[in-house]
Amino acid sequence: MCGIAGVVRPGREHPVEETALLRMARAVRHRGPDGFGLVLDRGAGFVSTRLAIVDLPGGWQPLESSADGGLLVYNGEVYNHTELRTELQAAGEGFETGSDTEVVLRMLERYGLDALDRLNGQFALAWWHADARRLVLVRDRFGVRPLHYALRDDGTLVFGSEAKALFASGEIAAAPDLEGLDEVFTLWGTRPPRTPFRGVRQLPPGGLLIWEAGRITAERSWWSADLGRDGTTTDADLADILRDSVALRLRADVPVGAYLSGGLDSSVITALAQQEAGERLQTFSVAFCDPLFDERAHQETVAAALGTTHHTIEVGPEQIAAALPEVVRHAETPLVRTAPVPLFLLAQEVRRHSITVVLTGEGADELLWGYDLFKEVAIRELHDREPQRALELLDGLYPYLGAGAARRGPAWRRFLMETGAREDPLRSHLTRVEATATVKAFYHPDLAEQIDRGRSLERLRAALPESFGRWSALERAAWLEVKTLLSPYLLAAQGDRVAMAHGVEGRFPFLDHRVFDVAAALAPERKLDGMRDKGALRELAAKLLPSDAAARPKQPYRAPEVAPFFGPGAPDWVRELLSPAGLSEAGIFDAKRVAGLVRRGQAGRIAGIRESMALVGIVSTGLWHRAFIGADAAAHAPETAAPRVRIDRCREPAKAGVA
Amino acid sequence: MNESEVRDQLHAFIEDNFLYLHPGVQLAHGDDFLARGILDSLGFVELVEEVQRRYDIAVDDIEITEANFGSIDAITGFVVRKRA
Repeated sequence: MCGIAGVVRPGREHPVEETALLRMARAVRHRGPDGFGLVLDRGAGFVSTRLAIVDLPGGWQPLESSADGGLLVYNGEVYNHTELRTELQAAGEGFETGSDTEVVLRMLERYGLDALDRLNGQFALAWWHADARRLVLVRDRFGVRPLHYALRDDGTLVFGSEAKALFASGEIAAAPDLEGLDEVFTLWGTRPPRTPFRGVRQLPPGGLLIWEAGRITAERSWWSADLGRDGTTTDADLADILRDSVALRLRADVPVGAYLSGGLDSSVITALAQQEAGERLQTFSVAFCDPLFDERAHQETVAAALGTTHHTIEVGPEQIAAALPEVVRHAETPLVRTAPVPLFLLAQEVRRHSITVVLTGEGADELLWGYDLFKEVAIRELHDREPQRALELLDGLYPYLGAGAARRGPAWRRFLMETGAREDPLRSHLTRVEATATVKAFYHPDLAEQIDRGRSLERLRAALPESFGRWSALERAAWLEVKTLLSPYLLAAQGDRVAMAHGVEGRFPFLDHRVFDVAAALAPERKLDGMRDKGALRELAAKLLPSDAAARPKQPYRAPEVAPFFGPGAPDWVRELLSPAGLSEAGIFDAKRVAGLVRRGQAGRIAGIRESMALVGIVSTGLWHRAFIGADAAAHAPETAAPRVRIDRCREPAKAGVA
Repeated sequence: MNESEVRDQLHAFIEDNFLYLHPGVQLAHGDDFLARGILDSLGFVELVEEVQRRYDIAVDDIEITEANFGSIDAITGFVVRKRA
């Protein structure tokens, strides 16, 4: 796991300065704390920062091809590298290192971009051919690893794992993209290729881009989530492929740990990992001071039953407020939830125990329809046949909202049953969209005029696959969940960014594309049967876990959202950011309107999800603006450590040196 | 406390706590909260709690309906009836 970055110019004559590359390396050094390498080429330059996991002494990058002068900078892991290496060796390929990076490079050389279909892993890579002045950027199937880029008017392409590497290059200035911000306040994150920064794009999951001599000549998907399968796989198929996926993801030359949320998905993964590894696993959990959010008892039950060496951090509102600025700096986006913060603190704890790889249960709820959102969809479908039964079931949803359904009055049923037109393809997600959009009520009037608030959804409707209309309502909801929440938010702000902030690599066995294919082809009732979710996985869990853990209903992972900002330990910067002067820095939100929210926060009246999302959205937008555009936008310092690899093709075109 | 005072108090409460999310909206006493998108489900929870606390009345689950809580006039009538 690593960070990558680079600059390529249309011609060879205009150099890429080494100091710019050193600044870019520094910007993504948290992703690769073990060292870095760089390449100076004519009119091009690349850096790679390394978190050493496979072939610790030998796996340094960038890696050059002796065959055709190609060059690879690569961030991630390909888990089936052992099998691919054996296959390549049988075909006569020789290897100089034991790294998966070299396997990827050899695969690309031999098979071109068709090689991507053979890679099972999570990665982002840049593959450069100086003679053709061609750069290929690739991102893994689900977008576990990030990859940003910007194309300047002169044809120069700047890329990096994180946007901050682009800004550190000195080639790209940070400015807000109002439509990108509006998308955050619609879907919780920007949908690729959009980002919250003007002119900065990100490769879509399963996407590739080819840049040649100043022009982007191809942008396409090399993999896409295909649903609408025919119920041809079984619970046993799912168990087998999941076990294999976990085994592959235990491959590392460093110890591997696991996150335990207390829920079904991470418990199953931990149990399988413990069986496969044949040794005591170290497990890590977030507990909350507030019992409303706390799942400690469930985490401890599972850890004790499996016999893991378990570590827990307890998080309260003060820690959330204290860490939020740093989380926003890593996430590079405003947030509408504080949930990424405890995971940032958990990764810090993982690192403190010298663990750099963790398995998690992310992805199961999307593949196997575990979220309440899917039940909401099923209830709407049922309503046509059994309206009374559907309404009763509806009242059982979202039990954690703080008041029983009977107290929520007529607005509750109307909101869930009547939001969105029946024929709207996005209907499954419009309740969430509408609740999130509360933050838009606080836009500064000048800004409100500039933003077309319906555009995010129009773009999404226009991007739906041709087969979308043939899928069931639940499959459509699953596709939307993968495309709008999993990759843009859960795997990013709440996944890669907060783990890599501490040089910790998350691995996601449910997001093995083979697991996805098996899950997609399960009979629908093995995913959601009435209101019983994830039957196929619970079947496996019953063999691995204590019975109450295997049967435990889904509890969504949430974190305190109001107490960090209005509790007794709230930091001074919150008040400053929410003041008229603070709000005027970014100019996104209107001081008069925000004053109403502050008044309610101070009076302890903010209880609902709408206002709490608005609060987090406004506070984090202020932090985001300060970190990247306004007062605290860092003067980008260069990396000062010596590179482990330094290849200078400007002076010695054919010679590579390893320090 | 007469009916007119109750109505004014409710209007002030709704203005302070819910209308700030709807800049520019002028709410008349007969306006339907749901039709105008003024209250969501947790807004209802909060409003019912406020009515119970302020007017010292108990509101049963089955009384939380649009007929009793759908507008300022509706709540005013409900409060007056309960206190009678």
